[in-house]
Formats: sequence, C-alpha cells, structure tokens
Amino acid sequence: MKFFTYIIRNARRNPVRSLLTIASTGICMFLMMILISFFTLRNDVAASLRIYNRIVVMNANGFAGMLPVGRVREIAQVEGVKHVTPFQWFGGKFHDQVMPFAQFSVDADNIFNILDEFTVPPAQLADFKANKDGAVIGRRLASDWNLKVGDPLPLKGDLYPADMNLTVRAIYDGEVNRNLRMCLFHYDYLDEALKRVTMSSASGGSLATSSSRVSGNAGMIFIKCANAEVMTGACKKIDEMYRNSEYPTRTQTEEAFGKMFGEMMGDLKNAIYGVGVAVVVSLLFVTGNAMAMAMRERTSEVAVLKAIGFNKGLVLFLVLTEAILVAGLGGVIGTLGCKFFCDVVDIGRYSGGFLALFYVPWNIALFGLAVSLFIGFASGFLPAIFAANSSVVDGLRKVV
Amino acid sequence: MIPIKYNVRNLMVRWKTTAMTILGTALLVGSSCILFGLVDGLEHSLKVSGDPLDLIMLRKGSTSETTGGFEASKADEILNLKGIARDASGVSLAAKELLNIAIGERINGTHNNLIIRGVQPASRELRPDFKIVVGRDLVEGRGECIVSKTIARLYKGAQVGGLLYFGDKEQYRVVGIFTAGGSAAESEVWADLKDVEKNTGRDGSVSCVQVRAASQADFDSIQKTINDDTQFRLAAIPEATYFENQKRSSLFLKLAGTMIAVLLTFGAMFAAANTMFAAVKSRTREIGTMRALGFSQRDILISFLGESVLLCALGGALGLLFTLPLTALSIETSNFSSFASVSITFRFGWMVAAVALIMTFAMGIFGGMFPAIRAVRLEVIAALREL
Repeated sequence: MKFFTYIIRNARRNPVRSLLTIASTGICMFLMMILISFFTLRNDVAASLRIYNRIVVMNANGFAGMLPVGRVREIAQVEGVKHVTPFQWFGGKFHDQVMPFAQFSVDADNIFNILDEFTVPPAQLADFKANKDGAVIGRRLASDWNLKVGDPLPLKGDLYPADMNLTVRAIYDGEVNRNLRMCLFHYDYLDEALKRVTMSSASGGSLATSSSRVSGNAGMIFIKCANAEVMTGACKKIDEMYRNSEYPTRTQTEEAFGKMFGEMMGDLKNAIYGVGVAVVVSLLFVTGNAMAMAMRERTSEVAVLKAIGFNKGLVLFLVLTEAILVAGLGGVIGTLGCKFFCDVVDIGRYSGGFLALFYVPWNIALFGLAVSLFIGFASGFLPAIFAANSSVVDGLRKVV
Repeated sequence: MIPIKYNVRNLMVRWKTTAMTILGTALLVGSSCILFGLVDGLEHSLKVSGDPLDLIMLRKGSTSETTGGFEASKADEILNLKGIARDASGVSLAAKELLNIAIGERINGTHNNLIIRGVQPASRELRPDFKIVVGRDLVEGRGECIVSKTIARLYKGAQVGGLLYFGDKEQYRVVGIFTAGGSAAESEVWADLKDVEKNTGRDGSVSCVQVRAASQADFDSIQKTINDDTQFRLAAIPEATYFENQKRSSLFLKLAGTMIAVLLTFGAMFAAANTMFAAVKSRTREIGTMRALGFSQRDILISFLGESVLLCALGGALGLLFTLPLTALSIETSNFSSFASVSITFRFGWMVAAVALIMTFAMGIFGGMFPAIRAVRLEVIAALREL
C-alpha cells in the first residue's frame, strides 16, 4: 500500500491522457450496461416473481389461440389454486397510438388478490370494482399520460372490433422492478361489447371472425397458488384436464412465462453480445495503447527505479496497478453511473411503449465492473512485462 | 501546406500506436455498421414488400394483418371486383390470406411465435420475386407448407421433409424453402389457406385480402369502393403505405443502433484524441522547426487534423471491411410490435456506408481538434528548446 501515492501520482502525471482513457472506458461500459440489461432484465424480473407462486395458462398454440372463459371456474376448483382471473390482452389504440401500453381485461374482484404485491387505495379499489367501465392503471402510466382518477381513458379496438370507453377509477403502485404501466379493466365490459358485435353481425355488421376474437375468450388465465409446492402439480393437472379438449393448454409458472419473451429475441441477443465483445476488445487496444505510451515516456524512470533496487515483480506490480486503476475508474463511472442514471431517469417513459420498466440489476453492474478491471489488467500486462524486463543500462542511456 | 506524406510517414514511424488505434476504432465502427446493416435490412424488407399497385384489405380499425380479420364472404366479394390485374395465364391477382401465430420451437430448445400464413395460388405473384429454392412448392389440401431459409435453419422440423408441429391439430409437412426478394414474407411459414382454416377452426374468416390493381385508375376505384362502402366496413390500404406503417417495428432497432453508434463514436473519439495528443507531444520540436521554416499556424492545424482524420479513416475502412463478409448474415428475432418471429438479413447499403463515414469524421475531427490546437499554440522558441 505504501506505493499507492506513487501510483496515483503516476496516473495523474498526464491528466489529459488518463481522463481520455477513463472517459473512453466509462462510455463504453455505460453502453454495455444498457445492452446487457436490456436482454437480462426480463429474466431478472421473472426470477423475482418466483415468490408470488403464480401460474399462467394459455392456449397450447400460443397467444392467438382460444381459451374458453368457462375454464376460469373449472380451474378455480383445482387443488392448490387460490385465486383465478381471465387475463385478456386488448392491445387497443390510445390517442391514435398503436399499442402504447399493455391493456388487460381481468376479473376485477380477484386481480389484486393475485397481483398482491401492488398497493391500491381501498376506496379507489372499491370504486373500480363497482364501476363496469372502470380501469385501474399503474402509477407510471398515470404520470406518462398525466392521468388522474376520474379521467376518461378511451381505447380504440385494434385486435378486437370494439372500443372501450374506460374511466380511470384507481391507480396502483408497487416496487420499481414491477410493471407500473399496465391498464387493467373489467373482463365483463369487453366481453359484453364483443357479444354485441357478434350478434349484430347477422345484420351485416362487422365481426371478429377468428375464433379467439369472439366473446367468451379468456385470452390467458392468471392463477395464484396457495404455496410454491403445489405449483408444478397444478400446472400438470390443468394441462392434463384439457389435453383432449378442443383447445389444449400450456400452463407454466409466471417466471417461465416471462422468460419465454426473453427467448423470443433469439439471434438479436447474440448479435448484441457480439457487439459487446467487440467493444471490450476495442477497449483493450485503447487502454493498452494509452498505457504503452505512458510507459514509453517513462523508460528512463523505470530504469532509475530498477537501479535503486526495485525488483522486477515490484515494477510489474506498479504498472499493472496503475492500468487497473485507470480502467477501473472508467468502469466505476460507466457501470455505476449507468445504474444510477437509469434509476433516476425513467427510461420506459421515453420508449414509446417498448419497455414498461428499465433498470440495471446489481449483478450486471458488478459484472461490468469486473470486466473493466479485467480490461485494466489485460491492457497493462504487456507494457508492464516490457517495463519489468527492460534493461537498466539502455533505459538510463535513453534520451526521451 | 505541409505535404500529406509527412503525416503518412509519421503514422508509419509510430506504427504500433497507429495499429492499436486503427484496430480499436475499426472494431467500434464495425459494430455500429453491423447494427445499421440490420436496420437497413429490416427497412428494406418492408420497402420491397409493397408494389405500388398492390392493395391490402383489413378490417376497419385494425392496423396489421395479425390483428385484422373479417368474414370470408366479404373477401369473396372483393375477389370479384372489377379492375384486378391478371397474370400471363389469365389468373386474377387477388388472394385471401389467413394468418395464425403459433409457438414454434427452435432447434436449440427456445421458443418464438411463428406466423403461419394460409395462402392462395395468387399470393406468390403478389410478392416480389417469389422463388422456390429448395424442394418444391406446396400442393393444396395436403397439409404441406413451405418455409423461409432462416426458419428452415433454426426451427425444429422446419427442414425439407420435416414436420412443423404446433399441436396435435396443427402440423405441416415441409416440402420446400422459398425466397421472396428479401421481403417481409421471408419471416413466415406458408401453407394452403384451406389447411390453415381447417387446422385453426377458423373456417369462413380471413385475415386480409391482397389485390393487385390492373392500372392506377383501377387502383383508385377499388380503394374508393372498399373504403366508402358501409357494407364492407373494411379499409383498403395501399401496400406501400401499409408497410410504411409497420416501420414501427424497425424503429426500436434504429434507436438502439443510433444510441450505440453515438456512444461508441465518443469512445473512439477519446481514443483517437489520446493517440494524437501523444503524437503532438513527441513532435514538439518538429512543430517548432516547421513554424521556424515559415509554415503558418493554419498549416499546422490542418496537418494535424488531417493526420487524425487519416488515422480514423483507416480504422473506419477496416471496420467496413470487417462487415463485408456479413452480407450473408441473417438473424431471427422477435418483432416488437406483433411478438412474432422476424428474419433480418444484413444489408450493406448506403446506411452502413453513411454511418461509417459520419463516425469516422466525427472521431477524426473532434478527436484531433484539441491536440491540433495544442500544437498550434506552441511557442516557437519554447518548442525548439524542448528535448
């Protein structure tokens, strides 16, 4: 540790160079945090959902398939199931924007027994339950669109040939790693609207014809189980029940369901990770170059150090530590800076509905930090070896 | 003016530093180029998909084929409208199509939603450059399908002779692989309309009707008939407009690409600045000599800026070179607005070249600016005295 001052002084000797190297590393690490978080966030969120013991039923064929709403009652009878709600994606337009946020029609009496980590003021919740056209929205969604309780929230049907003229009755809140940008409304309200179009079609009106878009479709069924032990059994039981029906199901934990979306990214994930690797290699060149330049300027100084008795190992240590210090400092600024930036600035707000939430998980930030330390080590390695093995006589003789 | 040879030689003398800087910037430029090549590929696929005389009919109010959907009886009326183009053998160029989105399993065990499009014979003519490249085209009513190259490469059972299995009731025998001029169709599985109707239990409904008008006048009149008729309650959208609207799906990639490119440019800018600062510092005496010989401050500034741009241009060119072998690269991911599989083929077009050019100059000029200004500001006497 007694050399620490010396190392710091060395690093500050050419402040412009050190600052540029730090800035270069910092910016690249900042970018890397965003990229990696984007792809791992879903899994991070999904994993944190494990404790809530929830499972999701969908048509085995995918989102487009039918899941008769009558099954909600049947599934409620399955052992270990505590609460059940239909969970139907509406995907309507708001202010002529296509899919600006997630909208689900749900069983108003049950939904917050299932999503029990959210908090809703009891008076608002009662108001929501009592009003057929009521909607409950997340706190962030409310602030995005400047919506207050009592405001109208008209959604135009895109997937469904029905418009929902909702009124905000309640606003829910929750932890930062929860989706606070959902709009939930009464299943019955949508279903009755769909029944009307189905009936009026006889007289030449429009009709949602694909089987999944008529009334009576639950979309998905969202379930809260009594405890973690019964989850696997319940999933199996439910799939078993409908195996030979017209609409077989795929039932999985909420965690697996969330991860499925991550899987969809497919090759894009690899392409972006490829970019990440290229950036790291590039940083190796950049910081390595800076370190090599620094050492070239100090050739005679290193020779003096060795002449007065510093051994090889110590010189190696001095140079490596300096390199790690500079790259590490850039890493700290880039990774932690990115983490706090994303905590303070709500990225989701500016993503036009692509991201409901965004943050940099701690494990990713620490990983980034480790990468930057590695960059420091690897980039300082060659210059350090050269300095440690340089000839004292040549070094002393050299005029810079 | 100081000859450019001076800068070239300088870069060559300090070749180690030069090489490191070039490689560093090359990797950063190359990474950004790859992303923009993918954005370009995605946008290209949307652009070539729409022929100016093609119309696509959707239910009024829906914004895409996957959310549209109406009765087949209306679709049949559309097929009989006047003014629809015919191909050489006299077949009318109009097709009913039915889309299903089902979960497919990739060979590596992960899943994604695949679009299965039930088509009619005319659907092929309505896509640019439709070709069967492996195997044969599907025969109607036999539960067969054809797939795009990327899907054949990545999905379980999607190879010719394989069985694409989506459920006990929905499975198709793969008989061929098709290309469609890089258009959006290359992300889909195509099966016979009747088979898809039967398998999904959606008899009597279609997702959209695709039509090619015989002439501009017919195009206008068909559009007018459909849009104005209260019976239809459909919207006839020019296909080019339709795909223009779908660009939302590429917006995300484009934004991400831009962000990455901008940040990486800054990263590379600092690296270039570092190298140039060192170059100026080690040449202090040289700069003094040149000033003493009578070169003006402007000459020095231009020379050092030029050297910086040259350095970065070499990096940029190398970065572009990295991306050349990628023209065959095709990635499969999820469309962020319909959650369905989309294949993107890397395209080495003007967008990639522009990104490389802009990045290179931004790095070269801004990275070289401060070192060059430092060089200019040197006092001649002090510079000459410097060791």
